[in-house]
Amino acid sequence: MRDPRLRIFSTILLSAGAFISPAGAVAALLWWLLFTPRLKAVPHPRMLSGVVLMITATAIVSELTGGLGLLYLLRMVPILLIAAWAFSDRQESELLDVSVWMMGKRIGFDIGLMAEMGLQGLRLINQDIVQVRQAMEIKGMRPSVRNLVPMAANIVINQLRRTEETAKLLTVRGYSSGGEIEPHFVTERRDIMLASLALAVPLLSFFAIW
Amino acid sequence: MRAEMDLVARQEAFSLRCRASYGPGVHLVSGAIGGGKTTMALAMAGLLPFDGDMRFEGLASKAMSLQFPEYHVTAASVDDEVRSWGLDPGEVLPRAGLSGRGAVDPFKLSRGQLKRLNLACVFALDPDLLILDEPFSSLDCRAKAKVCKAIASREGKITMLFSHERASLPRVSTLSQISEARLECLGAVPDAIPRWAGAPPYLRRALELGAEPRNITMDDVEEALCATRG
Repeated sequence: MRDPRLRIFSTILLSAGAFISPAGAVAALLWWLLFTPRLKAVPHPRMLSGVVLMITATAIVSELTGGLGLLYLLRMVPILLIAAWAFSDRQESELLDVSVWMMGKRIGFDIGLMAEMGLQGLRLINQDIVQVRQAMEIKGMRPSVRNLVPMAANIVINQLRRTEETAKLLTVRGYSSGGEIEPHFVTERRDIMLASLALAVPLLSFFAIW
Repeated sequence: MRAEMDLVARQEAFSLRCRASYGPGVHLVSGAIGGGKTTMALAMAGLLPFDGDMRFEGLASKAMSLQFPEYHVTAASVDDEVRSWGLDPGEVLPRAGLSGRGAVDPFKLSRGQLKRLNLACVFALDPDLLILDEPFSSLDCRAKAKVCKAIASREGKITMLFSHERASLPRVSTLSQISEARLECLGAVPDAIPRWAGAPPYLRRALELGAEPRNITMDDVEEALCATRG
């Protein structure tokens, strides 16, 4: 989907639809199966499988203790897959574009900038994890629960340092609030069709619980 | 003692073709920033997957210093950081110029100090194969000179030096360069010097003036220029 506005709109609709009812979850899953590159659109399969595993464990515990664990699992899996697709499809600075388009050059710019920096941080943390693991391997340390604390401390401190540097850089460049940007979007016919179908998912979900 | 490779190392979408054989001595691998030096260094250290062969003969130990020293930190104090390498802080800290700083949080050190600490640790390990990825980055001239001295003192061992440094360089045994995702071994010094595309300006100028330096340091160039001018 080339238009980020429609992608974000579809993501919200599909996630809401999946959460409202099991029928919506199935419909959202179907949408993901039909209209995305499926597992090819998962940016970090290992990370996603870890999250799915955690959700599955939570669902099992909930089911065993009398809760609706399986229904929770049914709802969360499509939400995660849709989120992974939306993340993998994103282009540089599009959140800033969408935010400015939605909320203007002052608040919209600030929120968009924060969102972009957050996503950049995620990407850098991923690189940090790789480097820290390599450094630990050089020392003969294996990734383990015991080594988790120094590893996490290293990553958090590096991220905080980077954030501080970015804040200083923005200040030096005269940023206080808002900014000038002219968002430009390309909307294809397919984008409109997929967003329309995504709109059907929460509607179906809503009618299913009535 | 020898390190031989015929492989394609991969890092995300980038792949690097390496075919080389390195014996005891200092081997400089140069190349542009982002050219693949770190990829080759990580592959040699066994930290990156590759297709092909990598053989080490007569090597009992190897160590690597990463380009960014902060990634090496796994302890809450400088003393413990040195101990995490299995070393004695009393021996290592004076070499790093950090005597009396043992109780300090490593993250409170500047990047240059952290780099000195990390390099002091890997040199103190004295491994048969030492892989140094950009060892001169973040260092001042005096610290760079010390690193050159430490490299020169590793006699009979293999030191792989991956760097784009253009001024402070140690005497080396061979030159290699990476360009267009391929490692090119230029051969032993001094014969390889004229073929070195990434030669620093002082060396290039000396070659233009007809000098024939015996090695790549500024001292060698000065000596060669003096000989040329009589």
